[in-house]
Amino acid sequence: MSSDAHMSSDVLSDEPVALAGAGLSLAGPRDFFQLMKPRVMSLVIFTAIIGLLVAPGSLPLYNSVMAILCIAVGAGASGALNMWYDADIDAQMTRTKKRPLPRGIMAPSTALTFGFFLSVVSVWMLGLATNYVAAGLLAFTIFFYVVIYTMWLKRRTPQNIVIGGAPGALPPMIGYAAVTGTVTVDSVILFLIIFIWTPPHFWALALYKLSDYGRVGIPMMPNVAGPKSTRNQIFGYSIVLAAVAAAPVFTGLGGSIYAFGALLLNIGFLALAFKVWRSRAGEKHEVQLESLYEVQKGDRDARNLFAFSILYLFAMFALIGIDYLLSGAF
Amino acid sequence: MQEYRDRPKQFLKPTDQEVKARTKRNVVLALGLLLFVILVFVTMVSRGKLPNAV
Repeated sequence: MSSDAHMSSDVLSDEPVALAGAGLSLAGPRDFFQLMKPRVMSLVIFTAIIGLLVAPGSLPLYNSVMAILCIAVGAGASGALNMWYDADIDAQMTRTKKRPLPRGIMAPSTALTFGFFLSVVSVWMLGLATNYVAAGLLAFTIFFYVVIYTMWLKRRTPQNIVIGGAPGALPPMIGYAAVTGTVTVDSVILFLIIFIWTPPHFWALALYKLSDYGRVGIPMMPNVAGPKSTRNQIFGYSIVLAAVAAAPVFTGLGGSIYAFGALLLNIGFLALAFKVWRSRAGEKHEVQLESLYEVQKGDRDARNLFAFSILYLFAMFALIGIDYLLSGAF
Repeated sequence: MQEYRDRPKQFLKPTDQEVKARTKRNVVLALGLLLFVILVFVTMVSRGKLPNAV
């Protein structure tokens, strides 16, 4: 047992934070996995696979698997470093207060070491398994997410998730670069689809989780510019997203299957964004307490758009992948 | 001269729960490191980066 843990057992059992700080930790492998934001990782893995799949050229199967593993671990490392830095605000938000650091079962230094170690390993291994353009992009992604987004923008500007959306949009570009060793128009389009999708996706969530973000002082668009302005911007970004979604058809990245599917998906996205635009989502304080139906209705539109936006992104990338596989088969 | 680290006489005894958690972490860490070594080796072989002697 380490000699820095000279505390009474009573204090340790009552104060989980003190326990973690004393070097005694109840954190298990599952907690470390949770530190890597597995839900975000699933989206990263999926989009990176599509980027790797549609890139011209080929990579041996083993190296392809390694590339996806490294991208996933790099994303997980970013998540761990994000949780290390944001532990103070995570503890105050309903959605995040059950994370390992706010629960006090893990010392912040453990999360920092874990995240830093995985960052270095994932970038190095990606360079070894594929090429140093892909590794450089992964390193840039981790740096952007942790330093530019988490440390700099998140607590300072309501444009946080607009600019901070870039690292979330980079995985398909990294997957693409793992094969080609370059950045092309097609990989930029894959990047742009996620980049432009991010603001309406997160702002829809922020509209009905407004109080959570406001309470911890994060300047999300609804609590800085107001719900009405946010709804306008959600609709504006949705129109731009529809335009960007059409781009693969013109570059040859997407064929007729993609064109048809993307058309339906974007009509759906625009319709839901339009409903949010016309709703009063995020304006609970203006509704009388008795009018529960109005509150639920307003929030429901934002919630529907948020839920659909997740399906939308998966479906868009799935269409690109399916189109590519079928065009190769016939 | 006696070092500071030799002075403490009383140490906290970890609970069974803490020992279990530590054991789990150690096992996963060992497996993770083993996997890492294997992956580095296989990756280097796949890229032809190992010396001819291997």
